Amino acid sequence: MLIVRGIILTALAGVLLYLLLFTGGAVAPEARGRIVVVYWEKWTGEEADQMMQIVNDFNNTVGKRKGIYVQYLSMSNITQKTLVSTAAGVPPDVAGLWDAQVPQFAAINALEPLDDLAKQHGITPDYYKPVYWKGCTYEGRLWGLISTPAAAALHYNKTLFLKHANKLKAAGLDPDRAPRTIEELDRYAAALDDIEIDSYGKKRIRASGHLPMEPGQWIAYTAYWFGGELFDAKTDRFTLTSPEVIRAYEWIKSYSVRLGRDSMTDFTSGFGQFNSTQNAFLSGAVAMEQEGPWMANYIENLKPSMNRWKFPKEKERDMSPEERRNNYEWGVAPFPSAVPGQDDVTFAAFDVLLIPRGAKHRKEAFEFMAYVNRQDVMEKLTSLHCKNSPLRIVSPDYIRNHPNPYIGIYEKLAASKNAHGVPPIPILPEVIDELNATTQRIYLLQAEPKDALADAQKRLQEKLDDFRKRQRLRQGGEI
Amino acid sequence: MSPLERRRLGSGLVFISPWLIGFTVFLLIPVCLSFYYSFCDYSLLQTPAFIGLDNYRELLGDPVFWQSLRNTGVYASLALPAGMLVSLGLALLLNQKVVGQSIFRTLIFLPSLVPTVASAMLWLWLFNAKLGLINTLLDMPPFAATIQGINVALGAVHLPQIQTPISWLTDPAWALPALAFMSLWGVGQTVVIYLAGLQDVPGELIESAELDGANAWQRLWNVTLPMLSPVIFFNMIMAIIGALQEFSIPYIMTGGGPARATYFFTMYLYDNAFTYLKMGYASAMAWIQLLIVLLLTGLSFWLSKRWVHYQSK
Repeated sequence: MLIVRGIILTALAGVLLYLLLFTGGAVAPEARGRIVVVYWEKWTGEEADQMMQIVNDFNNTVGKRKGIYVQYLSMSNITQKTLVSTAAGVPPDVAGLWDAQVPQFAAINALEPLDDLAKQHGITPDYYKPVYWKGCTYEGRLWGLISTPAAAALHYNKTLFLKHANKLKAAGLDPDRAPRTIEELDRYAAALDDIEIDSYGKKRIRASGHLPMEPGQWIAYTAYWFGGELFDAKTDRFTLTSPEVIRAYEWIKSYSVRLGRDSMTDFTSGFGQFNSTQNAFLSGAVAMEQEGPWMANYIENLKPSMNRWKFPKEKERDMSPEERRNNYEWGVAPFPSAVPGQDDVTFAAFDVLLIPRGAKHRKEAFEFMAYVNRQDVMEKLTSLHCKNSPLRIVSPDYIRNHPNPYIGIYEKLAASKNAHGVPPIPILPEVIDELNATTQRIYLLQAEPKDALADAQKRLQEKLDDFRKRQRLRQGGEI
Repeated sequence: MSPLERRRLGSGLVFISPWLIGFTVFLLIPVCLSFYYSFCDYSLLQTPAFIGLDNYRELLGDPVFWQSLRNTGVYASLALPAGMLVSLGLALLLNQKVVGQSIFRTLIFLPSLVPTVASAMLWLWLFNAKLGLINTLLDMPPFAATIQGINVALGAVHLPQIQTPISWLTDPAWALPALAFMSLWGVGQTVVIYLAGLQDVPGELIESAELDGANAWQRLWNVTLPMLSPVIFFNMIMAIIGALQEFSIPYIMTGGGPARATYFFTMYLYDNAFTYLKMGYASAMAWIQLLIVLLLTGLSFWLSKRWVHYQSK
């Protein structure tokens, strides 16, 4: 009996050991004989499939020639997984993360520097729009290359502008164009608001011209449109209490004051998720929003009628971008700046390809990254994702055939001298969370902008100083 | 030790080894390491650097730490008694001999089988201020009249009135109570434990109380509840631990907002560990959390002497 038991236990242990040792790294048959570059990417759904096309293109061309095979894995919670695998010494060769991770990961030595590899491939700063290149560097070194970028712009609903044309005209505004200054934006917003007073005498918002917090994905960077900066890299200090930043948050607060805090929370709590037909912009609940170039794709998928204002889709093939723009129920313009003379202000966000520290195939991984950054490949990828290009030069066909007929505006914004990227702060994710919470406090009228920003400045500066102090301790300096 | 005893010990150890190895590798060692890391600057990617009590000192001066602790405390103080009362009430009802008893029991248990994310998505719609079922119900005459009545009473004592429709998850004043209310969705498991406890209440005691002329309430208060008190105590301890560890529902439904009104202790701990990469700081938080749980559990045990009655005694 004991012998039988022993045999069963040994067999089970053997199976377990085999499963653990030999089934983890299964790769496709076409990868045999090639170096396998493991690539983790955050996108799921359509965007993941589109990146897969690029990976397949690489595997069938450059990869085949150079003996490299990229194994692509799309996943959720990628930041945490990359971090843990890097700590365990088994990171992917390429990780597709967000711009905020560049300074954060670089500061804790979690990434492979790429300067030498970029030099070998002839990749230089002037190949990119300055804001994106800057975002890939930290403390003078290159840590990543762009996968896809974006630029924030004002998106407006032309139908709602026409519906409220009389109100807009009465306010001295042109219903056929977007606002050009913050002051104008506020006047447009007020004219486009659709508010009723209910039987209890309470203000109810049926539709709104603009809400700074909707969708609010870049709300932490609002100060850029007011001439402010969040951080001074030279002094290593936050600048959240500067008059420009305070003015930006006063502007956010002004919407809560004008519309009423409770009326606004009632109104916004009825919004559906971004990727749904209940999206506030798509449903016509909000007439003007700050958004990225991907909106054309979302609208095409969720509410295609907004892209067929006058003609059916079949006719679109023969149309110029100008004609296509006229066929869209929505328009795009630079988000207005509060500073006279400071035009084309934008926040230029991007997704980034990084090589985590300890990656097994650094050189081969960079081959793939350089391939993605080749002009023709980048134009294909960003067209599929419906985003602008991070590269300084784009082909005329790219602008002409891009699924977003407004792509020229995003290109111009991203190339502008007033384009801002993520600030080089090693604790950036914490900064963004703190600023988002601060914005909510102000938006909900829980605190005055000046006080809330002073709180944020104090807390974040302490956190950053503490980070620097511990960094010095690690380097053997004084604490 | 005789050869037979040695052999038996060997066999015992072999059979217990899967648990023993798992316990040591996945629990004991990480717990010990986290205690050490709580005194270190540690980002997972760098060697831990010993910094003494710095993490604990920093925590004490961190307003977000206190806010997350306060939120968790408020949530626990709302969810815990509500959950205990509702689950006990349901168990007492389900213990009645009525037609379709097993169907009712299944229905009550069913929600606790729904995956957390699915529940969260469902409740997001229920709480939707414009289209949600809860506000639609509250807008109906009997409920609307009740709210109006409450508002009159609140107005009389100069307290802020209830504004309808209620922005359940976007109004800082309502977000925590809404999550506490939602926690009742998962009382099914507790109800099952209470039901098992109720089966254990000696019938002869209830019978003799009935013969002595005790009415239903008196039987419940003087017989059933004292006999059920060890089960109530067990559920209370589990509920305290559960409430202090609440994470996934607010993480999915509110992300801690609005303005950190639903930012729980465990969420801040998670953010420190995996978003801000401050594993040492997060470890210190974890140990403070353990200390709080220990204190509350200890306090509960101490107080239990007054109200928990064991049959063996």
